[in-house]
Amino acid sequence: MISVAMSPGVAALWLFGVFFLLLALRVPVAFALGLACLPVLIIEPRLSPMVIFNTTFKAYNSFILLAVPFFLLTANLMNVGGITDRLVHLSRTMVGNFPGALAQINVLLSVFFAGISGSSTADAASQGKIFIEAQVKEGYDLSFSIAITAVSAVLAVIIPPSILMVVWGGVLQVSIGALYLAGVVPGLLIGLAQMATVHVYAVRRNYPTYPRASFKEFLNAAAVAIPALMTPFIVVGGILLGWFTATESAAAAVIYAATLSLVVYRQMGRKELWHALLETGRLSAIALFCVGTASVFGWLLAYYQIPKALLANVTALGLGPIGVGFFIVLVFLVVGCFLDAIPAIIIVGTTLLPLSQSVDMHPVSFGIISIVALAFGLVTPPYGMCLMISCAIAKVRLSYALKDTLIMLVPMLLVLSALIIWPEIPLFLPRLIRPDFLL
Amino acid sequence: MRRFIDGYYNFLTVLLGISVGLLVIPVTLQMIARFTALIPSWIWTEEMARFLFIWMVMLGAMIGVRDGTHFDVDIWPEQKARTNAVFRIISTIFVLIFALVFVWYGIKFVQFGWNQSSELADMPMTYLFISWPLAGFTWLLFGGERILRDIHFLRFGPGPGDDQPKERELGVGSVV
Repeated sequence: MISVAMSPGVAALWLFGVFFLLLALRVPVAFALGLACLPVLIIEPRLSPMVIFNTTFKAYNSFILLAVPFFLLTANLMNVGGITDRLVHLSRTMVGNFPGALAQINVLLSVFFAGISGSSTADAASQGKIFIEAQVKEGYDLSFSIAITAVSAVLAVIIPPSILMVVWGGVLQVSIGALYLAGVVPGLLIGLAQMATVHVYAVRRNYPTYPRASFKEFLNAAAVAIPALMTPFIVVGGILLGWFTATESAAAAVIYAATLSLVVYRQMGRKELWHALLETGRLSAIALFCVGTASVFGWLLAYYQIPKALLANVTALGLGPIGVGFFIVLVFLVVGCFLDAIPAIIIVGTTLLPLSQSVDMHPVSFGIISIVALAFGLVTPPYGMCLMISCAIAKVRLSYALKDTLIMLVPMLLVLSALIIWPEIPLFLPRLIRPDFLL
Repeated sequence: MRRFIDGYYNFLTVLLGISVGLLVIPVTLQMIARFTALIPSWIWTEEMARFLFIWMVMLGAMIGVRDGTHFDVDIWPEQKARTNAVFRIISTIFVLIFALVFVWYGIKFVQFGWNQSSELADMPMTYLFISWPLAGFTWLLFGGERILRDIHFLRFGPGPGDDQPKERELGVGSVV
């Protein structure tokens, strides 16, 4: 035990107190996290602000996190490269005859897109521009259209590849391949739950439908879209076969997407390519910068053994694996309302890890329920990025679409509960394909 | 001064775009080397990728302060433009404090880097560590510019070409 000048309680008060105060003053999260560490680093005689530099350097000097800009670049390249249009067409031939066809297409496209990109915000931005206006034109309610676009976008981080899974795997030392495989079934279940929700809405509100597409039309659309739909198989398959590491597979996806957009579909020129590079750099860098300062914050929490102190009360309750699972999900749902998912993983994920270990929860199962809960946080205010983007596209305030969003979350939360109660739902696919990943 | 800041900002932006494009290269080389005999399995590719990545993160973090894209949590109801300007001044002051920490301790960090060289390419770590104090200086510049602009706004209202900083672009805020 290292002797420290501050007790865990006092240190926690400084860290969280300054952090929340700065957040309330609208200081950017990345800076608030770093600044919150300063008083402690200065007061504690054994520490100095140099910790900020060593820890941020260590956080950025990571080959795994490289996958984040690659995933984003893949999504950006796919969006400008005309791939989205082809996937919309394919979705239409598949679910166009359902009630509320356009909304069903919206969800199905999110499933496809989730397999290509690992970024929900990229999905919300690209689909918001396509669907919200088109749905309203066809007679759908605006708040319904915003809500379904936002909630379906969260699939992107649940169905592999996923930025959250890469970060989780990197920070908590879990096999990314296992997380990818474990995310497939929960992601599809949540997609189905959303389609069921759309169906109920569509029947009750009499939303329009399209004529049924012939099987031949479906085959034609599928043939055009197949090169794009191959992406998840390259990314996930490459890892499963042991060809690539997670980062390399993301780079392979970039090259594949660039080839498709530049050579095969030929809808991207030099200007669009440069724009995609810049947007990728801008967005991934500010998110990753936050990883650094969150790591300093997390390092200090560990230094004072604050997680242990915080969790002492919970451990005393003597919850079983299911109780702990619900507790973990609840924490992530609450945190996800206020914090971006990546710093949340670094700070809260590492804090809750000992709790999950105390009830012998499988690390992959712990990862999946946490990632799904954090994904839901993308549509919960005040900091629900996907909902914010959808509302911004529709030019309405966040509260406008809140009711429909919360209604759509209910079936999704039921799926999440099922994942907690039956951990085999996420685990059976990795167990079937690569049991060695689960060890 | 404004033209100088614009030029510096554009310079950083170009560097950022280039660093993202370059990132793909070492990782690709690594894969090509593994599956073909075209090139030897260079050991420096992984290190080069990581070092480019660090520069990319720091460059993007610098630019983000001028763009106003470092994400914050907005728990307050919608405010008037003037109130927003006051809030922005307060939050930017804190950004400047952090910038000063990056400059002051960052210089020590760089000096410390002279005695270290990278594991694989034997490069002085200073070439990497220098991005920390550089980020500090850049934030002071961009943050200072923003505060002056907001003070001007509070005193004189929106002037020509000096209006409210542009709204957040769509999609900016989180990669997740």
